[in-house]
Amino acid sequence: MDEPALIQSAQHGDLDAFNSLVLAYQDNLFNTALRILNDEELAADATQDAFLSAFRSINAYRGGSFKAWLMRTVINACYDELRRKKRRPTTPLEPDVDGDEMDTPRWLADPALTPEGQLEADELEHAIQHCLDNLPLEFRTVVVMADLQGLDYSEVAVATRSPLGTIKSRLARARLRLRECLQGFRELLPAAFRLQEEPMR
Amino acid sequence: MNFRDVELLSAYLDGRLSPSDSKQLESRLASDQNLQVVMDDLRTARGLLRQLPQRRVPHNFTLTPKMAGLKAPEPRVYPTFRFATVLAALLFVITFAVNGFAPIASPRLSAAQAPAIGLGGGCSNCGPSESGTVAPEAPQAFSAIAPTEGLPSTQDNSRNLTSPAVPIVPKAAAPFAANNLPAPISTKAPVPLNWQISLGFIVLICGMTAWLLRLRSEKEFQKRWNKK
Repeated sequence: MDEPALIQSAQHGDLDAFNSLVLAYQDNLFNTALRILNDEELAADATQDAFLSAFRSINAYRGGSFKAWLMRTVINACYDELRRKKRRPTTPLEPDVDGDEMDTPRWLADPALTPEGQLEADELEHAIQHCLDNLPLEFRTVVVMADLQGLDYSEVAVATRSPLGTIKSRLARARLRLRECLQGFRELLPAAFRLQEEPMR
Repeated sequence: MNFRDVELLSAYLDGRLSPSDSKQLESRLASDQNLQVVMDDLRTARGLLRQLPQRRVPHNFTLTPKMAGLKAPEPRVYPTFRFATVLAALLFVITFAVNGFAPIASPRLSAAQAPAIGLGGGCSNCGPSESGTVAPEAPQAFSAIAPTEGLPSTQDNSRNLTSPAVPIVPKAAAPFAANNLPAPISTKAPVPLNWQISLGFIVLICGMTAWLLRLRSEKEFQKRWNKK
């Protein structure tokens, strides 16, 4: 994929070129939105809004990391969704028995895992998502982009429009808080990630 | 240990420390057990997040032309037909307006001209040759046409005429004037009917052609996108 050429074509109104970029980045944007919002439908809406907004304002892109630029649009879309949700909170018609909004779809099941193994993997994912949800929004945003999407500090700084120092600080705080939260789910952690018994001082 | 150390450790894990800072931190890690514990904590949290599976998208988020607000390109001749339609429609409306106002305007015009022509009261500087060349029958014809206009009686005003010289009677009004009959208003429309029909026809043909061209272009545009 010749990204600069596609961006240039999209800037001239070529929707095909832009859609090629959409296909390349939709997984990143959707997963970022999903981890921030913890709701698949809202995440899909935010992702679609982000791409639409990106197409409309693609002429404002002035070089640099296109992924970071797209991430900024999805972060803004997520914040909009959260504000909308706050204004008009919705109540599910049926009570959420598990207390988890993010269900693992069948297609996500790893065929290599035993049913027990799959269950453990699901529980671990739920635990991590629970800990992410407990983070303040700005910490969650930074940790999702840096650790889940693999953006470097400068890209996260561009996406969040924050100074590099703030990113470093937020990331460190977010990781610490996550670690504290995950202590409560110690039994779910894989052997490679077994936590130290000693609490942090 | 303070939060600055936590920040250093976090940056160290991401390889964001300078070589000298890294070396310094590594020597501290070797001697400080607490620092090592925090380091492990951060590494665990980071590792867990990085191994979190990526969810597959529920559907593609590609944009359609409708979503993006894109429209089918206009056919090259479309603006010509559109302009022709608008112009013909305007002319069509104007012809109706002209024909509609014409019968109302003509008697008013005649009545307004009456004092100057037939009554002799509208021209104070006119010589006797000008005012005296008006036929005395003509005012009668005008008064019969517009009796409700509040004009002074033509019979009274006709006395003011200085001399009944050579009568100037409009050719069309002459036979009526001779018979003391009011001159009829011309009922012939300024714009002929066949012109109006032609304009209406042009509006229809051009409008339909423009619409069909646009429709075909939109269908082709849609078809092209559906193929993709």
